[in-house]
Amino acid sequence: MKLSTLKNTTAQELASLLDVKGREALLEKFVSLGLPSKKSEEYRYFDVEKLFEPEYNTPTILPRTIVEGEKIEIVDGVVVSAPKGLRIYYEAREQIDMEHFDPLYYLGHLLSPVTIKIEVDGDAELEIEHRYTQSDSLISYRIVLYNQANRHATIYENFVAEDIENTLVLYGYDMHIAKDSTLRVVKMQNMHDNRYSMVASHKVNVSKNAHALLKSFDLGGDQALQVIKVDLDTYAHVDAGHLLYLNEDSKRGTVSQIVHKGEHSSSKQEAKNILDGKARGIFDALIRVEHSAKYTKAEQNSKAILLHEEAYMAAKPQLEIYIDELEASHGATTGQLDKKQLFYLQSRGISYVEARKILVIAFANTLIETVKDSRHQERIKAAFEEVFYAAHKE
Amino acid sequence: MSTKSIMTIENLQATIGDKAILKGLNLQLEPGKVHAIMGPNGAGKSTLSKALVGHYDVEITGGDVIYKGKSIKDMEAEERALEGVFLSFQHPVEISGVNNAYFLRTALNAKRKHEGKEELNAAEFLRLMKGHLEMLGMKSDMISRSLNEGFSGGEKKRNEILQMLILEPEVIILDEIDSGLDIDALRAVSEGINKMKDGKRSFLVITHYSRILDYIEPDYIHVLKDGRIIKTAGPELVAQLEEHGYDSIEEE
Repeated sequence: MKLSTLKNTTAQELASLLDVKGREALLEKFVSLGLPSKKSEEYRYFDVEKLFEPEYNTPTILPRTIVEGEKIEIVDGVVVSAPKGLRIYYEAREQIDMEHFDPLYYLGHLLSPVTIKIEVDGDAELEIEHRYTQSDSLISYRIVLYNQANRHATIYENFVAEDIENTLVLYGYDMHIAKDSTLRVVKMQNMHDNRYSMVASHKVNVSKNAHALLKSFDLGGDQALQVIKVDLDTYAHVDAGHLLYLNEDSKRGTVSQIVHKGEHSSSKQEAKNILDGKARGIFDALIRVEHSAKYTKAEQNSKAILLHEEAYMAAKPQLEIYIDELEASHGATTGQLDKKQLFYLQSRGISYVEARKILVIAFANTLIETVKDSRHQERIKAAFEEVFYAAHKE
Repeated sequence: MSTKSIMTIENLQATIGDKAILKGLNLQLEPGKVHAIMGPNGAGKSTLSKALVGHYDVEITGGDVIYKGKSIKDMEAEERALEGVFLSFQHPVEISGVNNAYFLRTALNAKRKHEGKEELNAAEFLRLMKGHLEMLGMKSDMISRSLNEGFSGGEKKRNEILQMLILEPEVIILDEIDSGLDIDALRAVSEGINKMKDGKRSFLVITHYSRILDYIEPDYIHVLKDGRIIKTAGPELVAQLEEHGYDSIEEE
């Protein structure tokens, strides 16, 4: 399949290309938004058209028996193992947001006739590993996730690519965070060697009094974008933290919309970006406060450190506000490592490379330390060091 | 002074930006001795300390610095530190997110590795630290905080001395170590410095005021003016400077 063929097509033409029976509304929505290009506002910093050019194989997702395992393992979009007792199954269709800004959210749904549904019970702590094994493929799958009211669950998400190349992954969550609950999602994605590219398009509904903690640690190279839309109900809160540490000629980042719909809802979004080589970091984030969301508190910040003269940060924090009764702030800074700090460390016998590493990790630490589980925190730090030393090899 | 020196500064000339600051400075640091450098504002005292540790602000345009028989003027800052040259900064920087203990252990282990010794693990390191912290009157939580972040002026200076005690350098440059210290902090810092005196190490104490010299007895007083040492004498020179000021000093 060549995704560029979906450009400027009518709903009728698309219906003949894709199996869309019963999903005509989705199709209409996708057609109205159109296949994204560099002219699309949400993809203007990400070279998305390049991903649509190759002719991809489209492996059929055939649900199979899920064996018992310590974690949820999803291989090429198919769940192969999961912890005992976890309610995880396939469903034809789930609640889909018809106001999402991302056309690939709809395309992802259209390309995924069934979705993986996960119901998180109680105060669970789950690990999800996405594994990709097929080259030259378009792997598309969607996950719908529910948690329970009054419960506090955590999900650790990790990505593994086998020895593959030129694969494109379109995946994403529809999360429904129940009232008075907390859902913490920690994503760690260390990409390298041009094995695959990804657009992950998510929708997060945060119900009344619920808290969503969304932490992403995007490290290494390659092309990937996470597109997130969050809707906040009354007294709902989202704490989103995005760490980017990129090297080589990577283009990665976050495009997001946090929509305050309920009164007294609050959001905190912090991006820390460390860019080496010719990497481009993206933080294109909008907070929208609707008429219904009086007494909102919204805070948004992006900080970037450029470690190389050819590195580039596209930071675009935005507020769109329709009420007066709120507290809101946003900002973005881009700089380099502080040479006074660097010298101070060197003056104590710490090498230039180690001193840089210490400062880079220090910059990232406020986000890394939000990961409370020490095993996962160590995993992120180890990946971080791997990326650092790859960029600083002699 | 005797010709036996641990560090010899020969006709040192240095600039910051386009401005010549050091204009042919000569000085020999003797092992086991405390050398105090005094001088008016803008004489080049801090530039001298920066030049000796390879600070990026300072460009050495002439002369040499011979340390333990070899020139260090082209060495990187970390190499000089590993060889045993230490500067206690006038204004230590704050580094958010870098744990003080982690920083100190990294620095110590870099030095131990350089010397062919085994690195210390966290437990061994904390044992080493404990006594030093008590002597300097430092709260134990100061080593678990970010490096110098939110430290008072006195705490920063104590932390500099803690680094000196841990790293055991051979040439110790103290750039206005007494600035911003109350009497208790001055005593604690001086005690730390005096503890390092072993008859081999050499100290270069850069100061505006004589009060630190009541605690760290200097062997030599050098007057630095307009980028050069214009007079060297014993500790008795301090009283003359206190009474008559730097203008009273004639170049030797």
